[in-house]
Amino acid sequence: MGEKSYIEIAKDVKLLCVNSEKFKTNVIDVDFFVPINEHFAALNVLSSLMGHTSKNYKTFTSFNRKVESLYGADFETNIATIGEKVRIRFSIEIPDDRFSLDENSISEDAVDFLIDIILNPNCENKKFDEENTAREIRFTLENIEAEKNDKRAYALSRLRQLMCENEPYGIDREKLEEDVRNLDSEKLFAAYESLMKTSTIVVTACGSLNGDMLKEKFCEFAESIPERQAAALSTVYVEKAENIRYFTDEMDITQAKLVIGLRSGMKNSEDDYFAFRVMTDIFGGGPYSRLFLNVREKMSLCYYCGARLLREKGIIFIQSGIEEENYEKALNEILNQLEIMKKGEFTEEDFNSSITALCDAFRGVGDSPEAVCTFYNSQVFDKELVSGEEFAEKISQVTREQVVECAKRVTVDSVYLLKGESGNNE
Amino acid sequence: MNKIREIKNELLNDSYFEIDHKSGFKIFVYPKENYSSAYAVFGTKYGSIDTCFRVDGNEEFTTVPEGIAHFLEHKLFESEELDAFARYAKTGAGANAYTSFDKTCYLFQCSGNFEASLEILLDFVSNPYFTEQTVQKEQGIIGQEIKMYQDEPGWESLFALLRAMYHNHPVKIDIAGTVESISHITADLLYECYDTFYNPANMALAVAGNVTVEQVLKIADKMLKPKKSKNVERKFQIEPESVVEDTIVRNLSVSMPIFAIGFKERIETPCRSLKETLESNILLDIIGGKTSALYEEMLTDGLINTTFDTEYFEGFGYSAHIFSGESTEPQRVRERINKEIEKLKKHGVEKEIFERIKKKHYGGFIMDFNDIDSLSNSLIGSYFNGDGLFDQLNVLESITLEDINNRLNAFNIENSSMSIIKQG
Repeated sequence: MGEKSYIEIAKDVKLLCVNSEKFKTNVIDVDFFVPINEHFAALNVLSSLMGHTSKNYKTFTSFNRKVESLYGADFETNIATIGEKVRIRFSIEIPDDRFSLDENSISEDAVDFLIDIILNPNCENKKFDEENTAREIRFTLENIEAEKNDKRAYALSRLRQLMCENEPYGIDREKLEEDVRNLDSEKLFAAYESLMKTSTIVVTACGSLNGDMLKEKFCEFAESIPERQAAALSTVYVEKAENIRYFTDEMDITQAKLVIGLRSGMKNSEDDYFAFRVMTDIFGGGPYSRLFLNVREKMSLCYYCGARLLREKGIIFIQSGIEEENYEKALNEILNQLEIMKKGEFTEEDFNSSITALCDAFRGVGDSPEAVCTFYNSQVFDKELVSGEEFAEKISQVTREQVVECAKRVTVDSVYLLKGESGNNE
Repeated sequence: MNKIREIKNELLNDSYFEIDHKSGFKIFVYPKENYSSAYAVFGTKYGSIDTCFRVDGNEEFTTVPEGIAHFLEHKLFESEELDAFARYAKTGAGANAYTSFDKTCYLFQCSGNFEASLEILLDFVSNPYFTEQTVQKEQGIIGQEIKMYQDEPGWESLFALLRAMYHNHPVKIDIAGTVESISHITADLLYECYDTFYNPANMALAVAGNVTVEQVLKIADKMLKPKKSKNVERKFQIEPESVVEDTIVRNLSVSMPIFAIGFKERIETPCRSLKETLESNILLDIIGGKTSALYEEMLTDGLINTTFDTEYFEGFGYSAHIFSGESTEPQRVRERINKEIEKLKKHGVEKEIFERIKKKHYGGFIMDFNDIDSLSNSLIGSYFNGDGLFDQLNVLESITLEDINNRLNAFNIENSSMSIIKQG
């Protein structure tokens, strides 16, 4: 996989097909990248709507029957923010052509289906179907609201909003809800048009499918959208937090959620990335990490306590679920462990465990077609595309000194606690 | 001597090996060509429902605290010297474990040092070490795990439903127990459960991926010692056919009400066959799957959103068909589902729909054979159920429209319950 790279098959349309005979399935991801802009709320609705109905499959039933006829394909559309880029994904996994029960190529049918629903949404006269629009607005609102059901995700999302309130990344959920409520079928169409015209399109596929077929079909697809001009995609990296900000929310919950946001100090997604990756892993990665061994195992304060680096934004998030009364104890210990990282007082064993585990995990990314697609897709905007093996190689070259240097650049930005309602603590 | 048998599937062009190891353990090896990593699971048929049992020769049944199987899973990682995580840290394998209603599994995945990691797995699962002090330490950690689940409405909704459906069956108790129940766990009780359930007749090892039979046997021969298998008798109180409550409502912090509707199946034997399970899965797709008329109607009428889902939920002594989702009017959702079931019972399932869903399940079967984690776990799961991993395809092919129509009898509206989790 070493010499792999995305090829630009048309203006701002990139394609990568990783051929491998070892899988029983093929995966095809078609991604549209745009900046977080005025269409963001509409894109949330679109990503759902376009995965439910289209011009040729106007009802849920007809749409889903089409998906079902592709041998029960795993199909989904979703929206995500990758740093300050918005990604709308159309993803399908189907059994390989050799399992077809007739003469048809399952993968070719799947590609035709994806292209069809993307190019032919359920619109007429520059408007989406009214009934569909109303229904999808309801789904989107319910979906945004439902984030409250997952307390871990909700706490993280709140911290993100509070910590990055002056950056596009700090998406305000209430404003998003309001924007979604104010949408209509015309605004949705404007967002669709803008998505088609201004996105960077990335197609990533893995399996034993025919790369030439993919290239041909997606070239034709790109040509059918005239005057495309991709919008610039960039993300603000805040290198340093000035002082620690503290936030608290209350909710009727049993276990308090502690989330801490750190500015890593990275200037961009490639700035000492591998060393930062190792640093974050020693600090709060696997069960060998400082946070797991101390906050959980030694102090029995929680079931989970871990740290994760968001390369695309240069932020490190720490998450834990604790007893509210242990808030200070947990926070102090987490910050203490961060100090240990900065002073280089972690052990040789901590360092080696992390390098060994990371290398082992990245050497295995080629064993599932979804993992292959996700792995390469995450590098699509990097200068070079590295394989799992090469990734592991770069990790193994990271030195202890580099890790300490990275840790020294880290600053604590925000501390967030989601706690039980006052007077209602169990 | 080890007895090795190769099991092939022509459609998939795959095969795996079933080994009767000389120690008495069952071992499965599923080599995957050109894969870089391997995934191993060492499991015991012992889960949260096994709270009352006796072994051969004993007169008395032992009742143990709820959540002890899961507690044991946590504690097994510790030993007198290095704990298992610290040992895996040297090989680089990603390790974990899980406890379900009816099994406990220890696993790791790695792309290098496979033999060393397998040695760790077989060693720590075979050598328990508990002290009162380490038991106490774990009560704090698991207490937080229990509290984390108490805030998860989907999880709470399932258990509320199980409590509404089951009078006596321990499936209704939370897998991790309660903060109170785990406070009664002692080192001695852990040893007793370990000795009862962690022996060859009750366990199996499965490995899939970049691995050979020789590699696995080399380590198994070294690490797995013959051990006397125990004949365990589990005691379950008789479970009535009826449900406990028609509807159960709980308050939690949720954005909109979450519901689960369960149809308790009348069963005469504790286990469901693979055929019954597949029939149920097909039938659930026919009734409320994404291509069903009911699904579209309820979406259009604003009764459900796309979180609506179905599940056939079964294990030793329990079986139910479950519909779940979010709705501001769960009662109306329930009425619609009941109506649809009555309609299907009266008019039968259309042949075209049945064929379509069957083809979907054929595709689903194939798609399950990529990932080494699901392969290893399925090898263990099928073995504990008395099936072979490839059996599903033949059984699926054998299912007829008549079978599906007969299977509708498993739905008895009288014996159904609903749980609703809503904002308090």
